[in-house]
Amino acid sequence: MEGDAASIAGDEVSVGEVAISVTGLVRGYGKVRVLEGLDMRVESGSIYGLLGPSGCGKTTLLKVLLGRLVPAAGEVSVLGSLPGSPGSRVPGGAVGYSPQELALYEDLSIRETFLFHGRLHGMGAEVIRERESWLIDFLDLPEPSRQVTRMSGGQKRRVSLAIALLHEPELLLLDEPTVGVDPELRARVWDHLATIAAQGTTVIVTTHYIDEASKADRVGMMRFGVLLAEASPTVVMESQSATSLEEAFLALCRRDSGGGV
Amino acid sequence: MNAGRVYAIAARKFASLRRDKRMFGFIVLMPAIQILLFGIAIGQAPTGLDFAVIDESNNGFGTLIIDELHESESLVIHTDHATITEARYAIAEGELWGALLIPENGSFELHLDNSNQQISSTIIVEVRNAMSEVLSAGGGSVPLELAEPVYGQKDPAFIDFLAPGIMTMVCYLFSLILTTMAFVGERYDGTLDRIFATGTKPSEVLVGHLSAFTTILVGQVAVVILIATLGFDITIEGSVLLLFVLAMLLGWSAMCFGLFISSMAKSEFQAMQINMPIMFPVLLLSGILWPVQALPTWIKPLSWVLPTTWTAEAFRSIMLRGWGLESSAVQMAFAYNIAFALFALFIASRSLKVQE
Repeated sequence: MEGDAASIAGDEVSVGEVAISVTGLVRGYGKVRVLEGLDMRVESGSIYGLLGPSGCGKTTLLKVLLGRLVPAAGEVSVLGSLPGSPGSRVPGGAVGYSPQELALYEDLSIRETFLFHGRLHGMGAEVIRERESWLIDFLDLPEPSRQVTRMSGGQKRRVSLAIALLHEPELLLLDEPTVGVDPELRARVWDHLATIAAQGTTVIVTTHYIDEASKADRVGMMRFGVLLAEASPTVVMESQSATSLEEAFLALCRRDSGGGV
Repeated sequence: MNAGRVYAIAARKFASLRRDKRMFGFIVLMPAIQILLFGIAIGQAPTGLDFAVIDESNNGFGTLIIDELHESESLVIHTDHATITEARYAIAEGELWGALLIPENGSFELHLDNSNQQISSTIIVEVRNAMSEVLSAGGGSVPLELAEPVYGQKDPAFIDFLAPGIMTMVCYLFSLILTTMAFVGERYDGTLDRIFATGTKPSEVLVGHLSAFTTILVGQVAVVILIATLGFDITIEGSVLLLFVLAMLLGWSAMCFGLFISSMAKSEFQAMQINMPIMFPVLLLSGILWPVQALPTWIKPLSWVLPTTWTAEAFRSIMLRGWGLESSAVQMAFAYNIAFALFALFIASRSLKVQE
């Protein structure tokens, strides 16, 4: 099936509203162009898996969605407005963000870390304590007094994820949240994401574990600053006659490079 | 030790150093600039020193001495004070650095503001020179008596001159160092990204940091003042509380400037690179080691830009002259530090952008 890769966008977004809409987004750093006219649509109350190799622009895209980077060109709408514009809900308490770098203060304990981020969100001490208990239990974290610097890489990654979940935001932007996390816990995390998505939270997860993303409602396959495909995992696989998402992605990449099927 | 491997290490390091042009400039230019500044700022004779002469002699010597003194490059001679009491009052108000009384007969009296030892020394030398020029020509000599000074000791201790300046330097430097690296690392490790994602504003980040550091500042200033007074018995004629408050203000100036550097520097190392060249010039140009009155005219504006200059001068006035908030010197120091701190904070909050 020859066809413009970008037209593989099946499963018309049916009922829900659009939480995030991006059209023709261009953005780079200095002279280096990273996002080259990217289009993207994310429905409210769904999990969107953003897949692609390192350097394809996933993190840049997330930073634009957060209002940290200004688009050089194109339209971006997150929760109804351009991020960072006056009156916009982004950045703000509506968003939970887990960056690719751990972004933790090494000398703080888990409790102090949660207190810090909770306070930034205006959460009361009691609420923070409740969430702390739940998160430690859910994510298998060590005791609250444990310093970040005394944790393993996987534990640190889970603390970073916990911070994004702490204030139960409407929109979650998670950049590689499961790196270094064992498969059992990874499955638990994805189950929880599915639960909160069903309750209305919008979740964007970037990952380079392609098969993990088969649990998402929709996936966007990114390469060299554009999306090669954006649809539900099933549709993407069918479009490439692939039995796994990884296979589908490889096929799409080959096609994009101009090679044969 | 293997020569080949040593060479490999050295060659690699040299290649890295060569890429870093700023480091090169740093290593080569900085010492040159510092030595240059040192030569310019230190050791010249102060100029523009207001000095009065009261001539009560009826002979011509008085006039000759005044003429001789007019030749001096350091002194600005005033002869419009009628009595020595009037002149001493002017000295007390900070209008004059000293006055010479030429009596009808007997020794000449030199009345000084001894709060600045280098200036007093200069005046004494100029007066003695003038006297020996005039009097040796006419034969004979007249003794010069140092009267009870308006401010300071008759025989001022160097430590009393140096103390206000060094205290300024210490308060400024350590506050600056504390905050210069305050959040440089955080701009690149994602923690600041996360903070901005919550909707927190740069000004909130800055003031938050400033507040945390202020707790350290209080301790630092207290220790400096305590050690100076109790440990070394340094003179504090004026209010210690005033000194404390002004020192805190200077600390805030320094911290705000440090936060500004933090918001601009690309790495902690670069932040230090910006800091180090600042320290020495501040020491040289603030009148800490040598009076600002001795600076060449073209470099004086640079001295006035530094909050340390105003503060050191005010410290000296408070400690050695016992002046308080009613004096313009102290008021200027307060005002300048507040303005400097606010300006630095403002620029820092503009540099620390949420959106790039």
